[in-house]
Amino acid sequence: MANAATHDVDDHARPGFFTRWFMSTNHKDIGILYLFTAATVGFISVCLTVYMRMELMNPGVQYMCEEGARFFSQAEVGECTPNGHLWNVMITYHGVLMMFFVVIPALFGGFGNYFMPLMIGAPDMAFPRLNNLSFWLYVCGTALGVASLFAPGGNGQAGSGVGWILVPPLSTTEGGYSMDLAIFAVHVSGASSILGAINMITTFLNMRAPGMTLHKTPLFAWSIFVTAFLILLSLPVLAGAITMLLTDRNFGTTFFDPAGGGDPVLYQHLLWFFGHPEVYMIIVPGFGIISHVISTFSKKPIFGYLPMVYAMVAIGVLGFVVWAHHMYTVGMSTTQQSYFMLATMVIAVPTGIKVFSWIATMWGGSISFKTPMLWAMGFLFLFTVGGVTGVVLSQAALDRAYHDTYYVVAHFHYVMSLGAIFCIFAGIYYWFAKMSGRQYPEWAGKVHFYMMFVGANLTFFPQHFLGRNGMPRRYLDYPEAFAQWNYLSSIGAFISFASFIFFIGIVFYTLRWGKKVTEPAYWGEHAETLEWTLPNPPPEHTFETLPKQADWDKSGH
Amino acid sequence: MPTGSPKFKRAAYDAALSSSAPVTREDAPVWEITLWPNRSLGRTGFRVTMAIAALGFAIPVLPFVWAGGFWVLLPFVLVAFVALGLAFKANNRHGQMREHVCLWKDLIAVERHEINGQIKRWSCNPYWMRTKLVADGGPVDNYLTLIGSDREIELGAFLSPEERLELLADIEAAIKRLGQHYAS
Repeated sequence: MANAATHDVDDHARPGFFTRWFMSTNHKDIGILYLFTAATVGFISVCLTVYMRMELMNPGVQYMCEEGARFFSQAEVGECTPNGHLWNVMITYHGVLMMFFVVIPALFGGFGNYFMPLMIGAPDMAFPRLNNLSFWLYVCGTALGVASLFAPGGNGQAGSGVGWILVPPLSTTEGGYSMDLAIFAVHVSGASSILGAINMITTFLNMRAPGMTLHKTPLFAWSIFVTAFLILLSLPVLAGAITMLLTDRNFGTTFFDPAGGGDPVLYQHLLWFFGHPEVYMIIVPGFGIISHVISTFSKKPIFGYLPMVYAMVAIGVLGFVVWAHHMYTVGMSTTQQSYFMLATMVIAVPTGIKVFSWIATMWGGSISFKTPMLWAMGFLFLFTVGGVTGVVLSQAALDRAYHDTYYVVAHFHYVMSLGAIFCIFAGIYYWFAKMSGRQYPEWAGKVHFYMMFVGANLTFFPQHFLGRNGMPRRYLDYPEAFAQWNYLSSIGAFISFASFIFFIGIVFYTLRWGKKVTEPAYWGEHAETLEWTLPNPPPEHTFETLPKQADWDKSGH
Repeated sequence: MPTGSPKFKRAAYDAALSSSAPVTREDAPVWEITLWPNRSLGRTGFRVTMAIAALGFAIPVLPFVWAGGFWVLLPFVLVAFVALGLAFKANNRHGQMREHVCLWKDLIAVERHEINGQIKRWSCNPYWMRTKLVADGGPVDNYLTLIGSDREIELGAFLSPEERLELLADIEAAIKRLGQHYAS
């Protein structure tokens, strides 16, 4: 019998720092941990890009020299032998860190952990201790990834320069053990993501408040659920593929080596079977956040709730059947290419449903351009630009020309880097006071937005031109003719970086001196999901009492 | 929620409780109720989920049956699939906790079926039993306890606060009706 605990009511002692942040099983604390860790890794990853843009600012090689990497002063003409390995290492780790250790942990691990259980009225995740394990596996994977950057790699230098997709034969012949560490990093982070996904799926399906049917569940919770399913279905395939890489490297198997009867294209199929859903894992949680932000700041319920849900599901399903559009040039038959091309174009339909529903949500609404709304608007614009170039790139014939040019770089940075990053910032500003109890200065959030918006567009828009002019990706140097747009692009990157530094300042200022917010629904009554019924920040144990339907079912979809 | 609040010390009571004998009565109780934690996915939902997962896992595996690497892919995919199923099973098992309340004229008995199969029992004479409701500041809102036989037990801590209010009203009404029931 559970003897009553009433006499112990006041005995809720605050846990110590170590217990709270290292042994936490509380989904909100784990969410915060994910956000801060992802931000730290993100900073490392962004520093790599700034170094790359410094190098690309002018034709010739000024910083990445065989004689030693320079950071603050350009080398004199003739004093610098280009160090291609260093460049390759930069692009590899920028990609690996961003794809595996920054965006998904922030959106899925951070916001997903914090807000999904709150929105569905669950007391916590279904498996709180498994949740803690997921987080520390992620930290472990990050550590392996960063260790790989400094470990002995190919060309007698540190790190592996094989690109984030770790494609063989590059990855199987890269020297040193840096590559093996990178594979382990991806393995461990994959295990973390799969465990996290199982936890999210169980929570979402089995722990919803009574009466909250699937068709009444908030869009962000849905987006996390769809993402979790994508992770669950695709990451085991990646784990299998990189395990084969590992055995090819170390145990003499020849899965990807034609000399032994293997097939290097097989790796590309496996990798992209994971890789395409991966880009949706990055953006779909963002869709959820944007829906809530736009609805809140348009003071209207979201337009077309059910189509929005099924559009996300459709995007998830289609994401599994289009992978080979990343590899039109590997020698598939025309029929195969036509299939992948048509299937890819179909994705524009559910995506269009989402974009138009967001616009329809704003239509006739009373819009207030607070910081989160600005980020959501920015997302809408950038994601649409990236989506349009995506439809262009989906054409197998056109892709012959654009393959491996800066046009592709511009495309995927518009949808992922800018789309997803803008979602992350929208989420951070939207929920900052909910998570911390303190509100950032509005003007600072706006300055951050405008700097980032201008900087990001200045960085990536000119890259369309470079791609159309034929500038190839993944090179340290380029001919004189590409100088002008590269110069502008670098300026944009520096502006974006400055805005990121400014953002870090905003976070620390707000956490220390930000204005305290006590009103639970501080964005007004149109923020309708359950987290807005809780104090800021929510107490450690929420919904040990199940919420009642009237709390969350205001509009009666 | 079965987790409720682990802050209070159960162990000492557990020893005493597991020894308490089950209540055996020939006559049917006047009133009884069974309480359990909410689980939103039914058996059908579970099957549909697993079927969708199986289909999703088949897409990447089937095309590679004849290609190299199939035997490396398969275990990873199987492990993920089985793990998903086990997760639901475990979560449902946590949801199998039951509290069973039986009321006779001279006896109220509560049986709590823990998920590890342990059955904890408490009983007392309803005439001497008191109910206590802590609206605020308890482990959960509207924290409901029954006091009798020198012990205080919690009831329906995994329910929603509104449900606990209803439960309290039901119990009190049933006890009030006791007199009429046996008089007639």
